[in-house]
Amino acid sequence: MVKEYNIVITGVGGQGILTAANLLGWAALHAGYKVRVGEVHGMSQRFGSVIAYVRFGEDVYGAMVPEGKADVILAFEPVEALRYINYLKEGGLVIANSNPIPPVQVSMGLATYPSMEEIKKIIEEDFKGKLITLDAEKLALEAGNVITTNVVLIGALTQTPGFPLSEEHVKEVIRLSVPKKAVDVNMKAFELGVKAAKELLGL
Amino acid sequence: MAKVTDIVLWDKPGERVLLLGNHAIARGALEANIAVFAAYPGTPSSELTDTMAAVAEKAGVYMEYSTNEKVAFETALSAAWSGLRAMTAMKHVGLNVTADTFLSAVGMGVEGGFVIMVADDPSMWSSQNEQDTRVYAKFAQVPVLEPSSPHEAKEMTKYAFELSEKFKHMVILRTTTRISHARGDVVLGELPEEIKQAKRKFGDFKKDPSRFVDVPSNARRFHPIILEKIEKIREELAECPFNWIEGKEDAKVGIIAPGLAYSYVKEALAWLGVDDVKILKLGTPFPVPYKLLEKFFDGLERVLIVEELEPVVEEQVKVWAFDNGIRIPIHGKDYVPRVYEMTTRRAVTAIAKFLGLETPVDFESIDERYKKVSAIVPPRPPSLCPACPHRNTFYAIKKAAGPNAIFPSDIGCYTLGLLPPLKTVDTTVAMGASIGVAHGLDVALNGVPGEKETKEKKKIIVATIGDSTFFHTGLPALANAIYNRSNVVIVVMDNLVTAMTGDQPNPGTGDTPHGPGKRILIEDVAKAMGADFVEVVDPYDIKATYEVMKKAIETEGVSVVVARRVCALHRVGEMRRRGEKWPIYTVNEEKCTGCKICINAYGCPAIYWDAEKKKAQVNPLICWGCGGCAQVCPFGAFEVMKEGE
Repeated sequence: MVKEYNIVITGVGGQGILTAANLLGWAALHAGYKVRVGEVHGMSQRFGSVIAYVRFGEDVYGAMVPEGKADVILAFEPVEALRYINYLKEGGLVIANSNPIPPVQVSMGLATYPSMEEIKKIIEEDFKGKLITLDAEKLALEAGNVITTNVVLIGALTQTPGFPLSEEHVKEVIRLSVPKKAVDVNMKAFELGVKAAKELLGL
Repeated sequence: MAKVTDIVLWDKPGERVLLLGNHAIARGALEANIAVFAAYPGTPSSELTDTMAAVAEKAGVYMEYSTNEKVAFETALSAAWSGLRAMTAMKHVGLNVTADTFLSAVGMGVEGGFVIMVADDPSMWSSQNEQDTRVYAKFAQVPVLEPSSPHEAKEMTKYAFELSEKFKHMVILRTTTRISHARGDVVLGELPEEIKQAKRKFGDFKKDPSRFVDVPSNARRFHPIILEKIEKIREELAECPFNWIEGKEDAKVGIIAPGLAYSYVKEALAWLGVDDVKILKLGTPFPVPYKLLEKFFDGLERVLIVEELEPVVEEQVKVWAFDNGIRIPIHGKDYVPRVYEMTTRRAVTAIAKFLGLETPVDFESIDERYKKVSAIVPPRPPSLCPACPHRNTFYAIKKAAGPNAIFPSDIGCYTLGLLPPLKTVDTTVAMGASIGVAHGLDVALNGVPGEKETKEKKKIIVATIGDSTFFHTGLPALANAIYNRSNVVIVVMDNLVTAMTGDQPNPGTGDTPHGPGKRILIEDVAKAMGADFVEVVDPYDIKATYEVMKKAIETEGVSVVVARRVCALHRVGEMRRRGEKWPIYTVNEEKCTGCKICINAYGCPAIYWDAEKKKAQVNPLICWGCGGCAQVCPFGAFEVMKEGE
């Protein structure tokens, strides 16, 4: 049992972030932990930047991860990893989906979208974290449905060194949660995420 | 992971489940044998209401989506007068809408337990202001319970009904976003037989005009009764199971932590490695039980109050201390910020300063490094959904009214019409205020018929309001504008659901949790009230919408245009569940001239700019197939993607 484990999930409203947070919360509950999941609802969800927190351990209280305390940032969109990078602890890991969704402000020329090199540099040099990126959307499509992008990323997350929940355990919660006809697609998406993370982490 | 509605009804006492705070409160209400629930949705309270709607039939509870918080309050209050356990729920600003009935009814008391759930939104994640309901509770002399976790929220709900019934006084259950929208482990309790058997409970109203008619002579009796009751409740709360003293008994320093702040304080102390303190955990920030303060202050040399938003507990404690001759330093808002939500960082920083310690994480260094990041991360505010019918409505309004027209708007997703490129929202104040503001602007800028003097060249004023908001508080404002001979255009953005809070029904949709209700058509209401121009239009047809807007603007008097098309998010959700597909648009790169009208004037989030090709592109994963882009593009560059592309 870990004392405290903190996951920050970020992305764009509509990408299945809250579902991912809820799934991880249930997996932690089934593993016997005390759990807190913090979410954003209402207007802020509509294609805006979204952050959710999943915390579990022997003693967790508040639903928000404090700055500098996230073991992992799971980003559904690359620039959203950067937006919340202040949550990452030193030596923490960022798993990011590599598909950018440029905000309307960028298309309008009111803002620019940073390059992947810039994002990587800030995460690794300024915040002393490690970044791995994977094309989760492509893997989800390969599994059979782009809607499983969040499950690809969860699969990848389970490979994080020191991740306290077992792969089987998380899979079981997903299996029980999704509609019956979608179980196979989701399991395939999970496996593809696991495989990609193993390669990227050199496991 | 079962469905929430199943979990909330599970007959499995002792089962440990993961529930959202709002779900936990719904379960608590069922465990308390609630009979009537009425509410108007508002983030962050909505999931409580939706859960009650989903389980109402199965639990024998009467549940309604009321048209606004005041009438919801009145529905539930009357049930409580009739001896039933009743509840209403709202967001903090909803209590303002309710305030008239709320403050007047306090003195009448209740028979069955009456719980008012109010969800505050510190930091304003989805709200127009930041207000602390505990101040209202103090103003009204109504006890307020404040949970520190989702499990406690469930337990407190049950206790709130008991407390209310015992003192025949209404009780507020106050949450904040981080309780309402936090999931936590919750242990299920027993469900009463009546709930398990879905037995609808009926009450009995005992006439008593001296109590239920607040003519001045009666109301004069109420005020002292209220004050007496609240002091009795203050005494009772010393034994409240959600108030306790913990930590080191003979410590010299003490921390008072009401509600959720308790969680942050516990985390902060663990993080700082401090255990030489005494903690007063307060589940009842108003009224603060003096007996507990006596016990807590015994032996203390310094006290810190860590509370979110207003110094509600601090003021009570300081007054009590002064009156009792206690002269030790009591800190609060001098260490803990008064604005925005509490966080562990804020608690750690305040406690570290109070105790003269270093914070365990160098937050300042994080902030310093983060400065660079915030400079290069592009903003991503929420936006109107792809295929939102009202992007088209705004687009047509702006084209018809011109950029110099004034656009008062209202509370709902459509407030996002504020952002570029649409920029068709000039004011947003409160529910229903767009129509009142539109009329006021007409009075101030143009003058109305019948006046001695009016302006020759009149400013065009086009107000926008959602369907649910129209019924919420738009109606009296519309009557006022028509009666006082305004010259304004009111566009009701009807998407056939209360979309922003999660697709609840309203009078315009007609359905209720108990089956079909009676549908009220907005255009019929406008006609009946005597609007000078009333027309319904489909915003997916941008040209037709534009034509109608033109006519509405040209008509003297109050014009009401109902732009009706179902919410895109709602439609896509239903299509997904049915396994249906929708057309996906793509850019014909040969036809795209790179003029950027689709981006700079229309601004659908599915359309982005390919800087290398200098062409617009459609993200097929986000396109929901409304075809608005094809209507907006002067070059016909948007085409439906063919099967297999």
